[in-house]
Amino acid sequence: MTWTCEQTEARLSEYLDGLLTPDERYAFDMHVNACEHCVPLVASVSHLLTDLRSMEQLEPPPQLITSILNQTIGPRKTSKGWRGAFGWLSGLASPRFAYSAVSIAASMAILLAASGISLRKPKLADFYPGNIARSVDRQAHLAYAHTTKFVSDLRVVYEIQSRLNQDNNLPTTPETTMPQTAPGKSPGSTDSTRPDAPRQQNRANGIRRELEVLATEVPSASVSLCGRLLKRRIP
Amino acid sequence: MAQGNFWVKLVTVAGFEADDTLEQDAQLVQHCLQGDGSAWEELVRRHTRRIFNICYRFTGNGTEAEDLSQEVFLRVYKTLGSYRSAYGGFATWMSSVTRNLLIDHYRRTKRDRITDSLEDAMPVVENKESAGRRPDQQLLLGELSSQVQTALTKLSPELREAVILRDLQQLEYNEIRQVLDVPEGTVKSRINRGRIELARILQQMGVRPS
Repeated sequence: MTWTCEQTEARLSEYLDGLLTPDERYAFDMHVNACEHCVPLVASVSHLLTDLRSMEQLEPPPQLITSILNQTIGPRKTSKGWRGAFGWLSGLASPRFAYSAVSIAASMAILLAASGISLRKPKLADFYPGNIARSVDRQAHLAYAHTTKFVSDLRVVYEIQSRLNQDNNLPTTPETTMPQTAPGKSPGSTDSTRPDAPRQQNRANGIRRELEVLATEVPSASVSLCGRLLKRRIP
Repeated sequence: MAQGNFWVKLVTVAGFEADDTLEQDAQLVQHCLQGDGSAWEELVRRHTRRIFNICYRFTGNGTEAEDLSQEVFLRVYKTLGSYRSAYGGFATWMSSVTRNLLIDHYRRTKRDRITDSLEDAMPVVENKESAGRRPDQQLLLGELSSQVQTALTKLSPELREAVILRDLQQLEYNEIRQVLDVPEGTVKSRINRGRIELARILQQMGVRPS
């Protein structure tokens, strides 16, 4: 079957839409592959179809349906009486509204707590801007002080545990625990160690004294921890 | 009446609309003819988007497309009694009404367009395409879509409607034949000439290298 440029142009859309017979399609392909004139034509229309099919459907304006209904069947019926007056409340039953309401309530509770307003005994004076500012400032300082104290306590506890771990790791062989005469110290020296006692015992006595000092300085949790450690770890 | 409409909605929700669209439209039309307002509302909701898109692609103007869509539904509402399912699907019938209105509108506004084109001695593509279009619609269209839309409005109305129905509304050749009320050979010829002409216009606009 012979195929011409005129046929290619006339039946290009049928080719692209798959409406040609297999013989016609073969002849079309053979001609286009060998014709410099027809190649750009086929390519441009193929690209055009791709472009056209990639164009998305536009959304009509939201008021269009209402306008059409108003022009044809008239304005839609609206509820009257109590049902009509409170019809807008039905929207409040949606999960989205409930979620938003809970979020807002939680945020408000956090803000009120931060500003120091008591909901149990609310006073008008609590809502003065000056009082709110002072209260917020006080709450911020309190929070900072509590945080600082907590970090400090943690540091003390960590130091105590490090010392105890270090003590446990000391060697306990007879050679190392035998009393040694310190080169710079003579028996009966003024420090509290006894030269005749084993080194481990001296070290334990030192830690005990440090813990007692710390326990007097650091209250609450660290104290109780120090007390427990003293009872359990040090004979 | 309301019960029939309920079943139509239920089937739509269940996701079986692809096969039952014609049947549902026919039922809704029957309910409309019996005075069921909710059936008409359902028909309007189902077809507004498609009709608006045909009008917009043909005119290239959002305001005109909105007015024409309203006019289409007003005419369909008034002439619903003349629709017979034997003529084809309701959507095809609506497309036919839309097409007739668009051609009427084109002829009615032809004089205005000639005046406009004489006033705009040096038309600028970007300015012309954005005329009468709202910013949200401008955003919806990509750059390429805008250029293709501009090129579409330069086609003759016969070729333009054929290309819109085939390539933007994805109608089959026999459906286009019903909408345009012309022989299938004419449909093929118009679609082919429309595509080639549109590709040529886009090349002249520099969208595609020649």
